[in-house]
Amino acid sequence: MNYFSQGFSKALDLLLHMDSATVSAVQVTLGSTFSALCIALLLGLPAGFALGYCQFPGKRFLRLLSDTLLAFPTVLIGLVVYAFITRRGPLGEFGLLFTVPGMVIGQTILALPIIVSWVAQAVENLDKRCRQTLLTLGANSTQLALYTLRELRFAVAMVGVTAFGRVVTEVGIATMLGGNIRYATRTMTTAIALETSQGEFGQGIALGLVLLLIAFLLNALLVTLKWRGRA
Amino acid sequence: MNILYEGYDLTQVYHGITALSLPKFVLHKGEVLGLTGPNGSGKSTLLRLLAFLEPPASGKLLWQGGEDAPRREITLLLQEPYLLRDNVFRNVTLGLALRGKKKALYDAYTAAMRAVGFDKADDMAKRPSHALSGGEKQRVALAARLILHPTVLLLDEPTSSVDTLSARAIVHAVRETIAEGTTVVYATHDKNLQNALGGRILQIGTGISF
Repeated sequence: MNYFSQGFSKALDLLLHMDSATVSAVQVTLGSTFSALCIALLLGLPAGFALGYCQFPGKRFLRLLSDTLLAFPTVLIGLVVYAFITRRGPLGEFGLLFTVPGMVIGQTILALPIIVSWVAQAVENLDKRCRQTLLTLGANSTQLALYTLRELRFAVAMVGVTAFGRVVTEVGIATMLGGNIRYATRTMTTAIALETSQGEFGQGIALGLVLLLIAFLLNALLVTLKWRGRA
Repeated sequence: MNILYEGYDLTQVYHGITALSLPKFVLHKGEVLGLTGPNGSGKSTLLRLLAFLEPPASGKLLWQGGEDAPRREITLLLQEPYLLRDNVFRNVTLGLALRGKKKALYDAYTAAMRAVGFDKADDMAKRPSHALSGGEKQRVALAARLILHPTVLLLDEPTSSVDTLSARAIVHAVRETIAEGTTVVYATHDKNLQNALGGRILQIGTGISF
C-alpha cells in the first residue's frame, strides 16, 4: 500500500509545482474538449431542435439513427476517423492525424449524437401548453420557434454539460487520433493510462484528481441548472 | 350586431374519437357566451377552434364572413395556464413583446395587473413564475391576455382551480372587460360563474342554446 501514499504525495507535488507535463495534458484536454463541444453545439443544436420541433418524412428514422449513435464506441469513432485522416485516407493531405484538430474531429462526432438526440427529446417533452400559450398571445412561426428554444435553455445547457463530461473523460479517440504525444496531444485520460502502465502513479493520480475536480464542477453546474430549470 | 364567428357542421376528431360535433355556431361582436356541458363534451375543443389554434376536422368556421384567421385579435386563457420560465413582468407583457411593442410596457403591465386584483404590481414584477400559487398564476395569465385588449377573450374554466379570492378577482376583471365591449366566450361547470358573467348559454353536446 506504500505506493499509494507515495503516488498521492508525488501527485500533490506535481500539482503544487505546476508540473509542465501535467499542465500540458490539462490544457490539451480542456482545449480539445471545448473546441469539440462548440462545433457539436453549432451543428447539433439546430439539428436537434429541428428533429424535435418539425414534422417531416423520415423523422422517425433520423431519431432512431441519432439514438443509435449514442452508443457508438469511442474506439470505433477513432477507427472511422483514422481511416479518413490517415495519410492514405481521403483527408490525408491535411495532415490531421496525431494532431489536436484530428482529435477534435473525433470528439465532435462523439458529442454530436448526444446533443442532437437530447435536444430533440427536450423539445418533444416540452409542455404542449407552451405552444398554445405562445400562439394565443400572438407569436408568429419564427417567434414560436425562438421562444420555444428560449424556454428550453436550461435543458439545452444541461445537454451541453453532459456532452462535455462525456468528451472530457473519453480515452479511445484521444489515443487513436491524437497518438498520445507528450506536450502535443497527450490528454489527461491518455496520460493516466500511459503513466499507470509504466508504474508511474504520481502523475496518473495528479491528473485523476484534476479530472475528479472537473467532474465535481460539472455536477455542481448540472445541479444548479436543474434547480434553475425546474419551474 | 356584427357577426364575428359563423360555424357550420363543426367536428373535431382526436385519435379516431369525435371530441366535438356542433351543427351551427354564431357569435356576435360584444356578445358574452357561456359554454356548459359534461366533461368530454367538447367545450375546450370548441375554444381551441375559436382561438384558431387548430382547424376543425370537418365543417367551416368563418371569421367575419370568411377573413383569414385573426389570431392576434383573439386570445385564450387555458384552464391550467402555462407561464414561461421567466418573471411575472415578462410573462404579462409577452404578447406586447411579440407584437414588437417596446414603449409604455410598464404602464400597461401595471394597469393589467390592477385589473386582476394585484394592487402592488411592482412587488410582483420580478417574481419568478414558478414561485406563484395556482390562483396567482391564473390571474397573471389573465393579465397577460387583458393587456392585449383582445377583440375576443376565450376562457376555459377560469375559476375551476383557484381559491375564492382569486376567483373573485378573475370574475371582476372579466366583467370589466365585458363592460368595455370585449366579446367573451367562457367554458364552465360553475353556476356561480354563469350567474356572475351572464350572457347566452350554449350547452355543448346537446346543441341546446338558451
